[in-house]
Amino acid sequence: MFGALFIKEWKQKALTFFFGLGILVLFLLAHLALPGKRDLLEWLTYALLLLFFPFMALILGSSGFESEFRNGSWAYLFSRPINKATIWLAKYAALLSMLAALWLVFLALWLVFPWLSELAGGTRVLLGFIIETGFPFWSLLQSVFLLTVAFSLSILHEKQSNILFLSLIVGLGLTVAVWLALNSKVGQNPVWSAPSKAITTFLVSQILIALAFAGASILTFARSDFSQAREKTLSFLGRTIPLVVLALAGTAAWAVLVPGPGERYLYSIGASGGEPYYITERGVFKYSATKNRVQWLAKTRQIDFFLGSVSSGKIAYTAFDIRSKTDVAEELWVANSDGTGRKRVLGRGSRESGWPAGMPMADLMISPDGAKIVLLTQKPAKGLAAEGSPLWILNMDGTGLENLPADPVLLGLPTEPRAYLHFVSWVRDVHGFLILQRGFATPGTFRLWLYDLKSRIARIVLENGVTASWQSPVSPGGDFLAIKYQKTPGKPWTLALLDLKTLETTDITGGEDRVWSQISWDQKGDRMAYIVRRAQASGPDVYVLAVYSVAEKKTIAETVMTSKEESALLYSPTWLKDGARLLILDRPESCLKILGPDLSEVKRIMLPAWIRLPAGLHVVGDQALVEDEQTYTLWRLDLNKETWKKIYQ
Amino acid sequence: MSELLRIEGLSKSFGRHRVLLDFDLTIESGRVYGLLGRNGEGKTTLARILMGVIPADAGGIYYRGRKIPFLDSAYKREFGYVPEDPFFDEEMIVQGSLDFNARFYPRWDRKRAAEDIERFALDPKARIRTLSRGMKLKLELAMALAASPEFLILDDPTSGLDVPTRRDFLRDIIRELAASGTTILFATHLVHELERIVERLLILHAGRLALDEDFDKVKAQTQMNLEDIFVSFVSKD
Repeated sequence: MFGALFIKEWKQKALTFFFGLGILVLFLLAHLALPGKRDLLEWLTYALLLLFFPFMALILGSSGFESEFRNGSWAYLFSRPINKATIWLAKYAALLSMLAALWLVFLALWLVFPWLSELAGGTRVLLGFIIETGFPFWSLLQSVFLLTVAFSLSILHEKQSNILFLSLIVGLGLTVAVWLALNSKVGQNPVWSAPSKAITTFLVSQILIALAFAGASILTFARSDFSQAREKTLSFLGRTIPLVVLALAGTAAWAVLVPGPGERYLYSIGASGGEPYYITERGVFKYSATKNRVQWLAKTRQIDFFLGSVSSGKIAYTAFDIRSKTDVAEELWVANSDGTGRKRVLGRGSRESGWPAGMPMADLMISPDGAKIVLLTQKPAKGLAAEGSPLWILNMDGTGLENLPADPVLLGLPTEPRAYLHFVSWVRDVHGFLILQRGFATPGTFRLWLYDLKSRIARIVLENGVTASWQSPVSPGGDFLAIKYQKTPGKPWTLALLDLKTLETTDITGGEDRVWSQISWDQKGDRMAYIVRRAQASGPDVYVLAVYSVAEKKTIAETVMTSKEESALLYSPTWLKDGARLLILDRPESCLKILGPDLSEVKRIMLPAWIRLPAGLHVVGDQALVEDEQTYTLWRLDLNKETWKKIYQ
Repeated sequence: MSELLRIEGLSKSFGRHRVLLDFDLTIESGRVYGLLGRNGEGKTTLARILMGVIPADAGGIYYRGRKIPFLDSAYKREFGYVPEDPFFDEEMIVQGSLDFNARFYPRWDRKRAAEDIERFALDPKARIRTLSRGMKLKLELAMALAASPEFLILDDPTSGLDVPTRRDFLRDIIRELAASGTTILFATHLVHELERIVERLLILHAGRLALDEDFDKVKAQTQMNLEDIFVSFVSKD
């Protein structure tokens, strides 16, 4: 039935198709006959893509039901035992296939003659708008869209020229309106969509609007009285308007809610009370150990995915106010770990308290008693004098904001103007904190500073030293900081513990072992697992997993794990609840391994295939959480039942 | 005889013009129904609603006891329809049109189609737009008969036919179909032709059935011919 109608339509519109094919042949002949006239050929290619294909689509689409009106044969079709939706779809499919056939001819030319891609491929600018996908994709999308709109409208009137004109107005009007809306800005910021997502959002809008027209057209075609033109038109409008509004709302929802490339992220900002906290593009959540599920603390967009801190039942994070009329304004928010007491403490409205407008933040850290926050801002910043300090302190309730004086050497001045500062931990009962200074000069410089809040003076604690890992280098009791340092610049790193009370260091590794930046403290802070790379007398280096006992002041267990760097890179050793066994992630073997006290493999739990790039291991009670770095999803493994569940997507 | 088709409370308006008003009708299988009505009384509208060409404003149609929604198309495989004004895809040829229709009707009789084309002196290769109105009607008729319908709706087709074909049509074809058990609804305003074949008479007036009775019975009761019967009913108001 469908096939018969499809073929009938092809036969009926064959002349139009061959007209289009003729234009493509002329285009080919022009390229063969005038190879030197590059300018002319370029314009011909533009004309083909930006005029020919859209107009061909309009001609084909608007011819949809022209003959049925002319002959009155709509009644003939309707009186046959054919589903009306099938009639509509078969005709549409036939016309779409004609357009597709013309496109295939053009794509064949595109493949045969590489200079065509030079003329129209790549990023292009059209009427001031950047078309990242190049003209062919744009033209293909537009032509399918216009054909659908024109075909949908063709049920309304017998004159093809009227339908063509109406389709042109409606189709291009909606296209331009959506494009302008997608590019509209408040201040310097896009209102609806990130620029990287503009093309996909536009594509979504075209698909949804085309579907709205098609849906309204099919419904009208199937249900309306075609013998009454006015009633039919009103019926079509009554269906089209809400559906198009729905399509536009769907586009807006897509632009706002569906993250585009680079917009998704899932970033652990540490753990407090045994519960890991995550920042995502949708807000902040923690994995609740008591409820065994994700608990949202703040659902808010435009969070800065690097900047968050948790401590003693409090959380602080930064978020952007993208609707600022002047610039992207950064705000500091605080909340309790159950999500209550959420409050903006810095940002809009806090200028009176001495906070410079538009100040970008670089790092923050809540004190162990949950009373204060220290902040690092980036330099130079608007409103901040070049010689000003990037160090700030304030109370959790937003009061007591103070710009802390800083040593120019701490700031990397004058020798390393691009020095990067990073908070490490609080020390001495909140009377000071450690700052890591990284220089970008070659070879890199690393220093650990202690900032004394009483004297407001910073002093160097360790030269050529950094924290042993990016996250959780401090023991759970806050007594020790795992660090690695070079006794001589350029030599292998030595793993050591820095006593946060006395600021004395105790070496853990020595010799030629090179520390790998993965350490894990057990819950009591008695033992620390770490990984080193060890050279062999012969053969490749091996990666060794070891456990250091603080009480015994020595490494109490170690085992050679692998010689593959890709395995060792992601082991993420994590202590299980019993404090005796370790859980590691083996990405190349797609499994989690449970290691016994002697670090031998006790059990292997395979990762489900739908976790693409497992990373970021956390253990919460009898559950293990695994992040997927590709899909930005979070998975929970029940360690007893060995069952997996996706808990964030 | 069993009920083939039942129409209940059918209404249809075109703008302010109300054509069918709460129209009821039951059609039994194997009979020839003659539907008379003045111009604009709704004969064509009724035929088009029955064929799903246009929707009714209200009411229901039941075919073999099953309600037919407007969107249903399967029941039309058992329906034949010859409209007053033939509507074809004018660019098709006669044989192409027959072949196109053959795909939609499971009981399509190719032999019968070929015989009727020859009987009506139609050129299978002729393009439909070159045919006269009468020839198009013959083609419609050939197609409707080839579908081997259970129920045939004839919407005043004879007015466009030449006299020999009309006679042939009425004398032979209709009788032949009736003998084979096909139910026929013959809508017309040409009463003399109807008189020869009608078994049950339906008179449509003011949107409703003014008469629904066996023709022989009406004739016996009134002692009038069909024309007088018709006039007497439609001129009551």
